[in-house]
Amino acid sequence: MAKNSVAWGAKPKFPSSHYVDSRIYTDQSLFDEEKEKLFKSSWIIACHESEIDKAYDYRLFTHPTGVPLIIVRGEDMKIRSFYNICPHRGNTILYDPAGNAKRMTCIFHAWSFDARGNCIDISRGEQGYQDRYCKEDAALREVKAEPGFGGFVWVNLDDASCTLKEYIGPALDMLEPHMQEPMEVFHFHKATVDTNYKLWHDTNSEFYHDFVHYFNRITGMMQPGYFDRKYVGYANGHASVGSMEIKYDAYAGSKKRAVGWPGLAPGGWILIDIFPGMTYNLRTSVLRIDTVVPLGPNKLIVEFRGLGLKSDTPEQRTERIFDHNTIWGPFGRNLHEDLLAVMGQGRAMHEGTDSRWVIHGREENSTIHDEIGMRHFYAEWSKRMGRPAYDPFREGRQEPARAVA
Amino acid sequence: MDQRQQIEELVYRSSLALDEGDFTGFLQLCDESFRYSVTAFSPEIRKDMTWLDHDKAGMDTLFTNLPRHNSDHSPLTRHVTVYTVSSTGERADVVSALQVFRTTLDGGGTGLFAVGRYHDTVKLGAGAPKLLKRVVRMVTREMGAGYHIPF
Repeated sequence: MAKNSVAWGAKPKFPSSHYVDSRIYTDQSLFDEEKEKLFKSSWIIACHESEIDKAYDYRLFTHPTGVPLIIVRGEDMKIRSFYNICPHRGNTILYDPAGNAKRMTCIFHAWSFDARGNCIDISRGEQGYQDRYCKEDAALREVKAEPGFGGFVWVNLDDASCTLKEYIGPALDMLEPHMQEPMEVFHFHKATVDTNYKLWHDTNSEFYHDFVHYFNRITGMMQPGYFDRKYVGYANGHASVGSMEIKYDAYAGSKKRAVGWPGLAPGGWILIDIFPGMTYNLRTSVLRIDTVVPLGPNKLIVEFRGLGLKSDTPEQRTERIFDHNTIWGPFGRNLHEDLLAVMGQGRAMHEGTDSRWVIHGREENSTIHDEIGMRHFYAEWSKRMGRPAYDPFREGRQEPARAVA
Repeated sequence: MDQRQQIEELVYRSSLALDEGDFTGFLQLCDESFRYSVTAFSPEIRKDMTWLDHDKAGMDTLFTNLPRHNSDHSPLTRHVTVYTVSSTGERADVVSALQVFRTTLDGGGTGLFAVGRYHDTVKLGAGAPKLLKRVVRMVTREMGAGYHIPF
């Protein structure tokens, strides 16, 4: 029987760990709080070291809190990160998303900075500031930056944060043996979609949604071993899903893949989610990395990277690119379906739609269709936010009062 | 019809076929050795990228598999203008401007989805000209959820 408004608003018949109040996906005040409590002190992937290969190579990255960052390799080959904000009049220093700049010069008044964040020139400084202000006063704001875990450049805005190693803990141990060879980014694109960043990360944290993917049903769900894949939760909200062999030849027009990946069984697949919004997805011959950059409660940029090995022959690289594009490129079979699905959630769940709850109630011994990955994420979310995800405003009521469109 | 006009009509017919979802009709305009790819340059990683690359059989499979997938069903409208045609005996290299518009099913609002160029190689001969190669060179790289049907 269909529900009336009382039944629709009643709490789901699950333990409070098995559902969340859908306002965590729509409320602006919660979103603002997430930036401060979750993203500011988390280690976030800004780029890969192969994107800034040479001295003075730089890459721009808009941090999920909104802070514009420069990631730059110095003449000492050390990677550092700074606010992309001129200390003079608050202008953007570098505009192009990547490049090589021995001097980083603000176009506005030509103040220049080196790759260590020092101000090396204030145009007509002495004439204007005399001895009241000098280059030493005008350094850039440095942010913690550290390459690691496959050569990705991680940043952290919190000067007092834990180390990257402490933050990741053992979460990426399953992948470490497969990330010993130098890698290289061959694909990058952004997708801007109307949804909440957590809904994207949720999609990377549960495989029950393989029902949306014809490719995954045919090559995975219908194959032996699929239902044996297990979730493991780690400290700080990270989670992994074990491997299986994907039967690529089960999809019409596809075939067994020849290139593979060091140490990974043929057709293997390992996925690891890093709190609060990054995913390592190693599948057969390609490592895909997702990084969320939330713009609002219902607006999100996802940065997608595809990586191969630096040592690839042209033929090997071509095959990796083909594998990547078949499911993950902008015209890929799976990525489009995943993005459609989370946009559908954003459409049904934005402020005023009277969406009430999102259920994470499946229990299947932590295997592939268990929703423990999301439960693990929201336990960490609740801890860091100081609010339970099932009752974020601590109302404890049966029927949350809210505007209905 | 002169040769230039025949070549232009081939390019335009290929766009019309794709707009109408007439994939059989599109492939009939292609030579057996047809190769289709979508490429773009990324200023972020400072590299050329290939987003799709198929031979004729691969394109046929891609089209055949479409109904098995969940896809955005908003129709696309391709607006193509042939800029240059350079003939060299049995082949012609054709560069066309491409604009792709997406129209929502609910309400019918139309927005610009992507811009780029077609770089076509056309086989000339006794019969009607055929597409030997199409490289869709994308300028747009941000397409939201993407799309299952190539441009």
